This record gives sequence, C-alpha cells and structure tokens, in this order.
Amino acid sequence: MFEQEDDIVERMIRQLRRPVAIDPGLDARVMREIADDAQPQAPGRRPLLRAWPWLAAAAVLGAVVIARPWVRGSDNPDAFQFVLVAPQASSVSLVGDFNDWDPARSPMQTAHGVWATVVPLAPGRYRYAFLVNGIEWRADPGAPAAGDDEFGTPSSVVTVGGEGS
Amino acid sequence: MGIDRVEAGDAELVRRVRAGDIGAYGALVARYRDRLGRYAVHMIGDREDAEEALQDSFVRAYRSLARCNDPARFGAWLYGILVNRCRTTGARAARRRRLFVRDADALNGASHPDQMERLEWTDTVERALARLAPEYREAFLLKHVEDLEYEEIAQLTGAGISALKMRVMRAREQLQRFLREAEHV
Repeated sequence: MFEQEDDIVERMIRQLRRPVAIDPGLDARVMREIADDAQPQAPGRRPLLRAWPWLAAAAVLGAVVIARPWVRGSDNPDAFQFVLVAPQASSVSLVGDFNDWDPARSPMQTAHGVWATVVPLAPGRYRYAFLVNGIEWRADPGAPAAGDDEFGTPSSVVTVGGEGS
Repeated sequence: MGIDRVEAGDAELVRRVRAGDIGAYGALVARYRDRLGRYAVHMIGDREDAEEALQDSFVRAYRSLARCNDPARFGAWLYGILVNRCRTTGARAARRRRLFVRDADALNGASHPDQMERLEWTDTVERALARLAPEYREAFLLKHVEDLEYEEIAQLTGAGISALKMRVMRAREQLQRFLREAEHV
C-alpha cells in the first residue's frame, strides 16, 4: 500500500537527520594541520613547553598523538616527537617496531597531562602504539591504523622519508 | 532551527583563535564536526571523500579566519566553505561506484530480518539521494535535513530564494518517485 503523498519523503528526511558517525581522528588531523601553520618548524632542539599552544589545542580533543620531525640532519636519522594527551594517565610508554615494543625503552614524560618523548627514526615504515598505565593499549587517532597487526591490538603507522612523514 | 541559534559563543572563540589560542579552534571543530559531517556525507555520498572535504573546510576556514566578517555567524560562514568544497569534490561517480561495494558488505553482515530491512531502507534512501542533480540535492539537504531558512541557504549557495524553493520542490517530487520505484523492485 502506498504511503500518503510525501510521507515517504518525510520518512527519508527523518532517516537523513540521524547523526552520522565521523572519524574521531578528524579533529586531530585538523588540529595537526593548523598547528603546523601556527608553529612553523625551526631547526634545532626545542623544549616541549615551547610547543605548548598547539598541545593545548590537542588537549581539547582528549587524546591526540602528534608525530613530527624535530631535529633534521644530513647524516643523522630524523628525531620524531610523539605526544599523547592523556590527563588521567599515571604512566605512558611509546612502543613500536623501533624499540622492539619494549615499554621500558621509551617511557614518556608528562607536563600537565601531555605525555611526550622523542625517538630517532631512520627512513622506513614503523608500527607504534601507546601503553597507558601499563595495561591500556592506544593507537593514534590521527594517524593511519596498522592493518597488519598480528597481535590484534590497535596500532598506528608512521612513515619516515616519504609523503606520510 | 537556523544557523544562528546553535552558535552561542562562536564570536568569543573566534576572537581567541585570532589572538593566537588555537585550542579555541579545537572547540569550534568539536562544535561543528558532526553537523557539517552529516551534510558532507549525504551530499558527497562517500564517507572518505566527505571527511576529506570536511577536514579541508576546517583548515581553509582557519587559514581564512581574518575574512570572517561576522564571527558570531562563524557557523554559517563555515557552512558556506563546506558547501563550496562539496561542489568541487565531484563525487557522484564515486558515490555510485562505492555504494554497491559497501552495501554488499553490509547486507552480508546482517542476520536479523529487521536489521536487513533497515539496511535496505538506508540503501534506498542513499540511492534516491544520489539520483538527484547536485543542485537539487544541495537545496533539499540544506532545507530539510540541516533545517536552514531559505534566506540562509541563499547566502550560502548564491542562489535566489525562488530558485531554491523550486529546487527543493523538484527534489521532493523526484525523491517521492525514486522511493516508490524502489518499493516496487
């Protein structure tokens, strides 16, 4: 039986008004992109708090990871800063292919809930994740997910020396 | 509901961003992501393309914030950027190409009859929307899904109000026909 004229369109409108799930990493990608505008990268090592304005932006989003070249040199591998905003965490470690997934090798330091560490990375593709409070595994919401993780836990990918780095 | 009534505090956030507090921009992104994301997904039809358009619109808006003449109406200004960005995506082909892949996956995963029916209805709605001409789809979504006033839509799209009313009416007529056709397949 036909619905009343236009009832079927009204039903369609109700369907279309339902919330649409947007990738939770989108906010982080936007903030990372505009942070690059706001804080042009200068050569040389910088203390973490110099980067505070864009980390504060990340804090709005709850948990954000920012991986970006920190020190560039012609004969040294790039150093990458990894940041996780996790105000409630009591400890955070960076684990990945570059440190044999050993939490003890890259413990992160915190300033007001912003956890950071710097890791030298030679060109290549690396999977990584964050171990929060020694038990909680977190991927980077703003980075590509590693689809080939044989352990079944979430992890992310950073590529050094290519377009994605 | 128009745009104005959902953006109390935008002027203050824009002021803070202009003063160098980009954390305030995070609040604006959080405020508008879902509503604008819904428009982009329905307008473009492909989620990945829609999220790319949305991300690009937020970044463009940030870089052009000095040109936002009325910070209290930041939401409307942002809508305008997204509407233009969606127009240039030209994703109708992508919509048709990818719809079938996603639907096949979704239908294979549905086990309960109600779930199957919901997926089929969702699919019918998206296919009907995809068959509309972009200018009809745009006007229909902004009027009936995003609930904007014709005056607001005219400002966003650059089209006249009478032309917009005609587009919305035609869109409804066509959608009714498409949906009834689908009921008889």
